[in-house]
Amino acid sequence: MVIPTPLLMMLSPIVVFLLGFLGEEMKIEKLREGAAVVMSAVSVAAVYMLYLMLKSTPDGILLFHLQAAPPLGACFEIDMLGILMAFSVTLLTFFATLYSVKYMEHDTRLTEFYTLLAAMSVGMMGVAFAGDLFTLFVFWELMCIASYVLVAFRKDLWGPIEAGFKYFVMSALGAAVIFFAMAFLYGMAGTVNFAQLSDALRGQPLNMWLYMVFGMLVVGFGIKSAIVPMHTWLPDAHPEAPSPISALLSGVVIATGLYGLTRVLFLTFDPGMFKLPIAFLAVLTMTLGNVMALRQSDIKRLLAYSSIAQIGYMLVGLAAGTAYGVMGLFLHVFNHSIMKGMAFLASGSIAHETGTRDIKSLRGVGKMMPLTSLCLFIALLGLGGVPGTNGFISKYHLFSAAFGSGLGWLGIMGVLNSALSMAYYLRIMQVLLASPDEGFKAKEAPVLMVAVTLVMAVLIVFLGVWPAPIIGFATAASEALVNGLSTFIGAVLG
Amino acid sequence: MNDAVYLTAIFALFSIGFYCLAVKRNMIRILLGIEIILNAGNLAFIYFASLHSGGGFVDPLGQSIVIMSIILGGCVIAVGLSLVVYAYKHFKTMDVRKLRRLKW
Repeated sequence: MVIPTPLLMMLSPIVVFLLGFLGEEMKIEKLREGAAVVMSAVSVAAVYMLYLMLKSTPDGILLFHLQAAPPLGACFEIDMLGILMAFSVTLLTFFATLYSVKYMEHDTRLTEFYTLLAAMSVGMMGVAFAGDLFTLFVFWELMCIASYVLVAFRKDLWGPIEAGFKYFVMSALGAAVIFFAMAFLYGMAGTVNFAQLSDALRGQPLNMWLYMVFGMLVVGFGIKSAIVPMHTWLPDAHPEAPSPISALLSGVVIATGLYGLTRVLFLTFDPGMFKLPIAFLAVLTMTLGNVMALRQSDIKRLLAYSSIAQIGYMLVGLAAGTAYGVMGLFLHVFNHSIMKGMAFLASGSIAHETGTRDIKSLRGVGKMMPLTSLCLFIALLGLGGVPGTNGFISKYHLFSAAFGSGLGWLGIMGVLNSALSMAYYLRIMQVLLASPDEGFKAKEAPVLMVAVTLVMAVLIVFLGVWPAPIIGFATAASEALVNGLSTFIGAVLG
Repeated sequence: MNDAVYLTAIFALFSIGFYCLAVKRNMIRILLGIEIILNAGNLAFIYFASLHSGGGFVDPLGQSIVIMSIILGGCVIAVGLSLVVYAYKHFKTMDVRKLRRLKW
């Protein structure tokens, strides 16, 4: 079968690299930035085209493979869930690329930067579209390798190198553990294709090997999605990366880890089996994330700890184990990608203009950078779950899913944590609004950076007031994963 | 008999890699630990491919995965080694325990 046109956007890193190289050689300013922005916009359009293609199929799954049919060959199996993930990824990549044009203009080696940015985005899309464990692993490594280099991109400073090395060791260990677990899944089922794997393993009596595989999957994917106690790399790596990269890492890379975990767990195990361990991890993750965030003085580090807490909320949806819970999970993934991405971009603008990330020395920035601060406020209110923002909608669905599936204590813990998190969000707002110290000056960020954050702020409020379309999208995605499993298997095995 | 030998080798490799990560201080040894764990996965794939043989041939799927995984492992370690070079330039040491300037 031929590869359809929309999937050709997976070649975008190559295009960005070639055009960037050409631009450097021919001294055409801005060719690489132009190429990067256009390619990321094309990716969003391509995901939309795939969405339309998927809509017109009868069984809700698109199957693409290069040579051999699925049992042997590697393939893409695109369902609504994959489209939703890919949509979050491409949308945030587009915003981050647009923001980088101004933010990174004084850095060198920008061709490499934009190529890696595109490669990371393609890696995440590939993970979302993968139809077998092998494809998933290859794109996983593409995403990982690009993100290691991007975290340590400013190699002349010691901070990014130290953070990058910690991130590298943890994350490479995670990938190796996932690979080890895949080997055992392959050993038990004789295949790596998702549909056949599910056909062979789901509903089987649990034995020692399945428990071992479960543990390894949780550890391996958990390292990437920063589930406590595998989170130690995140508070170092996310603040030290350049701001657009922090936005992508916090917004979608950790969510991709969660996507992988959700996908493989639902394919291999019954929800009854993994409910309690995941619920336990969820409570641990959100509590530790919130408590540690309270004591931070660096604004980006605070946001990084807040990401850990948000991963805890998302795990609530997985622990619920129902289609409704998974709907809440992926609704929150999408909303969180916009909110946290924007919070990192706005705090990046502030750090860019004032030259500091220390919260105490940011007194009065709200008066000097009104638009950026307004955006940051909206993002923080959304992260705290204030009604009227999209964060409220998805948290509401997550916690009511927990109540609905008999895990009331988990829902209560979530609500309490959500209230606790407002403490540190409000502290940032209070500092920004305080009257400035003598002699402290900053001006509003460049127009392009402000425009990107403003558009994202409008999205947050818009999806908070009128959430129907994205809820419908997320419901279709969760139905495809949880209830549509037999359709999925039938469509692939034919 | 054979099964036990292979499984023991797989888990021994895995444990050695984990031990290496947990105990060693030298950055390059830590990278080797990661590589050893990846190789435990590779060996597991090779072994399970031989279990799923059909018509006198081992399953080619497992073996092809291993070839790709070796390539990917090489890429990952290359990135890791370049990070080690820069870490050495900044910190003038190969000891990972010196890399704790970033606070909690």
